[in-house]
Amino acid sequence: MLQEKIETAIIDILTRVTIKPRPKIIEILNKNFKSEQSEIARAQLIMMLENFKYGKKNKIPVCQDTGMLNFFIELGSNFPLISNYRDLIDRAVQRATKLIPLRGNSVDPITNENPETNTGINVPPIYLRIVDNKNTLKIIVFPKGGGAENISKLFMLNPSNGINIFQEKIIDVLKDAGGMPCPPILLGIGIGGDAVLCMKLAKEALLRQIEVRNQREDIARLEMELLEKVNALHIGPMGLGGSLTCIDVHIEIAMRHPASFPVGLIVQCYSHRWASFEMDRNGVIIDET
Amino acid sequence: MKHELRLPVEPEKLKALNLGDIVYLNGLLVTARDQAHRRILESNSSNTLPPSFKTLKNSAIYHCGPIIQEKRSSYRIISGGPTTSQRMDSLQNQVVEVLQVKFIIGKGGMKSLNTQNYKVVYLSYTGGCGALINKKVKEIIQVVWKDLGICEAVWFLDVENFGPLIVTQLNGKSLYI
Repeated sequence: MLQEKIETAIIDILTRVTIKPRPKIIEILNKNFKSEQSEIARAQLIMMLENFKYGKKNKIPVCQDTGMLNFFIELGSNFPLISNYRDLIDRAVQRATKLIPLRGNSVDPITNENPETNTGINVPPIYLRIVDNKNTLKIIVFPKGGGAENISKLFMLNPSNGINIFQEKIIDVLKDAGGMPCPPILLGIGIGGDAVLCMKLAKEALLRQIEVRNQREDIARLEMELLEKVNALHIGPMGLGGSLTCIDVHIEIAMRHPASFPVGLIVQCYSHRWASFEMDRNGVIIDET
Repeated sequence: MKHELRLPVEPEKLKALNLGDIVYLNGLLVTARDQAHRRILESNSSNTLPPSFKTLKNSAIYHCGPIIQEKRSSYRIISGGPTTSQRMDSLQNQVVEVLQVKFIIGKGGMKSLNTQNYKVVYLSYTGGCGALINKKVKEIIQVVWKDLGICEAVWFLDVENFGPLIVTQLNGKSLYI
């Protein structure tokens, strides 16, 4: 049945996503290790790389923080109708939590109770987008660890100078955070829209491939500028100094309200993990990332 | 310089440490994070701190919320890298005072940790390196306050060759940028 195929495919991506980061991360850490002058920074980088190797080889979650599991669904409008996405995702997450295992990261904010299932009231978060005239279902899982997510911020700036000051606002936040978000970090930034939309764009921006710039030249330039400024802080791997503080900056925009200049910042740790599958109408996987 | 230390440590040995030195630890330490720190202080003030905490004198607190697998009432650590220490900042000096530990292990450092006169030393373990812990823990000795959840409970661990840990805060000085 199609539901079962989707459930199995979700468990598969959850397994893959916990034991290895995006391949580009390993490439960049390796490259930086060769050029890094600071001995302490090099010691951090070598540990990170060894840990990735060990996790992959032994099929162990590379980080004990297996994150809040953000699901992005791109549902083709011609994909067969399914009545129970929430149930299906909950069940897949609960099974994966036991199987892999994942850390129980869903805690009741009032009572502090933890069902150790990664499910519960309003989680995991599911973001649905309907794609017109498409036959396929794509599901991306993006586990978001707490240390980096805690540095995230929403700035409601003034339209008269928002574009001029948003970079320094972000730099101030990162300077203060130092080693807390597990640098070298990645930044997802959403500019425009409203308070919710800019944060959502910021999170989605992190799913863009590393070192791929925004297609609009003026935005691409902002990305490069900010990347340079963050690396000039020399916070370095784990906040102990070094040349690599930020791996990449991705900015996405939306039209803003005339009175508002919202900027959303989502910070991601170096252990950048997401995985996806795309399935056709018969439940056959046609693409995996 | 590289140091191999056995826990509990003789306090005199801390004076041989310098910022940037690498430390490997052997012996007993405990995991504790947000809720455990609160509970240590609460139960200390109501005189209900479990006696096993007495064994932590001159030992270490590890800021960590591990992944633990439970099979037929025995436990196995799957992954257990450090969590952000700064969250425990406001409670840490009091907890050090109560438990008399000599090391805090975590990531990112702590803004108000009092390391003066080698009262306690902060050791940094590389964030995100959870999988490698898997081979450093010889045994889970016991778990206290499991009602806090797997991640927040206090896990008493017998570790072997736990490191490389870097001395990043010592005697009032810090390596953090």
